[in-house]
Amino acid sequence: MLIRFRHLRTRILVFVVGLLTVILGSFYFAANTANLRNARAHIDEALELTVGALQRSLQERKQNLFQNVRLLSGDYAFKSAFATEDHDTILSALNNHRQRVGADIMMLVSLDDEVVADTLHPGAHGEDFPFPNLVERAMDSEFGEAALIEQIDGRPYQLVLVPLFAPDMVAWVASGFLLDQAFVDTLRDSTRSEVTLLFEQAGRPWQPIASSLSQEAATVTAGEIGRGTWQENRSGELRFGGEHYIYVVSRLADSGSSPVAAVLQRSLLEAMRPYLELRPVLLGIVLVGLLLSVIGVWRIARSVTRPVDVLIEGAQRVEQGEFTEPVVIRQRDELGRLAGSFNNMMTGLQERERVHNLLGKVVSPEIAEELLSKTIELGGEEREVSILFSDVRGFTTLCERRAAHEILTLLNRYLTRMTAAIEAESGVVDKYIGDAIMALFGAPLAAPDHPRAAVLAGMGMCRALDALNDELAREGEPALDIGIGINTGVVVAGNMGSESRLNYTVLGDGVNTAARLEGLSKQYGCRVIVSESTMQRSTGILFRELDRVRVKGKSQPVTLFEPLGTSPDSLPVAQEMLAHWHAGLHAFYQQQWDLAAQYFGRCTGAAYLQDSAGMFLARIRDYRQQPPGDNWDGVHTFTSK
Amino acid sequence: MSTYRWLLQACLALLPAAVMAGSIEVTVLDEGGEPVKDAVVYLLPNGKVPPAPASQVTKVDQVEKNFVPHVSAMQAGGSVNFPNFDNIRHHVYSFSPARKFEIPLYEGVPTDPVQFPEPGVIALGCNIHDWMSGYIFVAESPWFAITGEDGRALIEDVPAGSYDIEAWHEKLHGDPKKTRQKVQVAATDNATASFKIRQKKVFSAFRGAASRGGGYR
Repeated sequence: MLIRFRHLRTRILVFVVGLLTVILGSFYFAANTANLRNARAHIDEALELTVGALQRSLQERKQNLFQNVRLLSGDYAFKSAFATEDHDTILSALNNHRQRVGADIMMLVSLDDEVVADTLHPGAHGEDFPFPNLVERAMDSEFGEAALIEQIDGRPYQLVLVPLFAPDMVAWVASGFLLDQAFVDTLRDSTRSEVTLLFEQAGRPWQPIASSLSQEAATVTAGEIGRGTWQENRSGELRFGGEHYIYVVSRLADSGSSPVAAVLQRSLLEAMRPYLELRPVLLGIVLVGLLLSVIGVWRIARSVTRPVDVLIEGAQRVEQGEFTEPVVIRQRDELGRLAGSFNNMMTGLQERERVHNLLGKVVSPEIAEELLSKTIELGGEEREVSILFSDVRGFTTLCERRAAHEILTLLNRYLTRMTAAIEAESGVVDKYIGDAIMALFGAPLAAPDHPRAAVLAGMGMCRALDALNDELAREGEPALDIGIGINTGVVVAGNMGSESRLNYTVLGDGVNTAARLEGLSKQYGCRVIVSESTMQRSTGILFRELDRVRVKGKSQPVTLFEPLGTSPDSLPVAQEMLAHWHAGLHAFYQQQWDLAAQYFGRCTGAAYLQDSAGMFLARIRDYRQQPPGDNWDGVHTFTSK
Repeated sequence: MSTYRWLLQACLALLPAAVMAGSIEVTVLDEGGEPVKDAVVYLLPNGKVPPAPASQVTKVDQVEKNFVPHVSAMQAGGSVNFPNFDNIRHHVYSFSPARKFEIPLYEGVPTDPVQFPEPGVIALGCNIHDWMSGYIFVAESPWFAITGEDGRALIEDVPAGSYDIEAWHEKLHGDPKKTRQKVQVAATDNATASFKIRQKKVFSAFRGAASRGGGYR
């Protein structure tokens, strides 16, 4: 299709109205054509009848003339008058008879073709009879009679010639009727066709004689017919003065030396008048029909498109995550049912969305996504992740003096901050275990630098805790302290639990190690402890080596580190002191107890290192009394958890 | 029959001259060589002619609305009576220049015969029956005859001598003078003359059938 509609309503409207227009237009056109054809046929028939009426009328007049003249020819008184050979008497008798029969002219003609008397031209006595062909015709006929239409003084007369018997044939009597306006008018009155008589003049406009039309119309008609485009007994068309005539030309029978033709015409508009009068009504019906159908179609289309619009709006709301408002369509048809289904669907979606949201809160959004994106089944995959464990130190003690709801409020406040810090580094909270948090980096979504992210998250948690502690201090609440352990290792990640209830989590040695590291943090007087595997992959972060330990239940020793910051300028302890610390630790591993004690002794001057340095000095005292032996690898074995 | 009677009387009257008289046998044909009936052949007087006897009365009857005979001939100075044998009246007239007369509607035999003192052709008509047509040829001389079906006529009792002979017929084209011929009549011998005449088309009043209704011719 060439035209594209943006609205279904417009398309329906254009289609229906277009179709209706075509149908109604066709009907209208067909009616027009049929009426025109009918009018033409009617006119042709009427003109044919008029031609017949004209010729019959002429024939009747001719017979009328014949009978009149025959009467005269047998009239004894007239014969007596003729026998007087007195011109005036004869003329007078002729006139008398002419008046009796209502003829327009009577003539008496000698057998030598001389005019004896002429009622129209009393002085023509003795002149040659002007219509020798009439005599010729009469001579050739059976009874010596003839009829012709001849021109006298520029006017056409229907003439008959009959012999005068006294009792022998002694002369000719001619008599004639004028073909005049009265004749034309009578014919027009009886046939309702316009009649125009014309003298036929070859090569020139024909000369109008009489016409039922106006003089102007008669002149135009004469000019048109004179052009010779007509065919005898075939109708033609003539337009002038806003009129449209169908005409037919009929040459009058018995035409003499000046042929006379009759143009019979009828107005096409007149013939079509009943239809033309009906046409505005027809047009009105068509227009009203169109208008009504436009309104009807518009309403029907709207009854489809409006609910569709409502449904579209509803669908858009659903797209934007709004499920609360159902679509309202008060129709019992298909669309009403569709709206019902739509609302049901929305309720279903709302249910799902609620579950989805809840899931996102119960588990982390990433896990929720992971759970929703796959078919949930038990089982997991091995992958390398970084695990972060945190715990509030002395939380149990904190709880002792507080109501449960206060504890819950504080805990939620704390967990919210921590969770934010974890998620800031793309970590995923795996679970809350009371005040403890287990967070994953690199699962369920793989991230190549998950160890570094975990370390940054740990440091972020410390900063968040400091901020929280400031708030708590203002509120007169005691500060919280936390320990954080971070380890990187290969674990099994996946859904664990029973068929009916399961968790996405990770399992493995690496997880336990992280928990152990968190437990050790307090002894070193630091908040975050990171395993070597994590430290090695945390570029751009400065660490302090803490210790080499063998945690409970593990044969492999672990080297512990504490992240200090990302820039040497923002360390919590002077670089010089850190150097002493690392020198002390080095000497300690070499069992150079004095040197180690000397360095650690220096470190105790820094508040930050005080606890850890004190721990190593105590350990040195122990080793001096009980040396660990040559095979000592510097690893301290913790027996407690 | 009246002609014969008249001829018989004429012969008796002219008995002294009869010894010196001859006759002329005349034939009249048309241009196609067909015999022409009812043509009047007559001699022009070549001197003084005997006058018509006063007692001579020619008769033209009206029978079945026709003049019988259709053509009659007589010598100028004679008279004609018009007995009506029909049971209706007739109105016999003539507008011929040689003798105009009329006998208004009458029955039976008119009391007075009509005198025809001048020679000429008298066309007879009936005022109430247009088709009724008859002719009386009034000759200057007593020597004339009318052709029969065979186109022949015999002019008898013509004194020997040289004559002009002419023929007339109701359809004759042109003047009868144009038919004039010379004829030599011997006392003992039959002379002959023949005419070939040109006929013109003549229209006459139409006699339709009695039951002919209206309508047009």
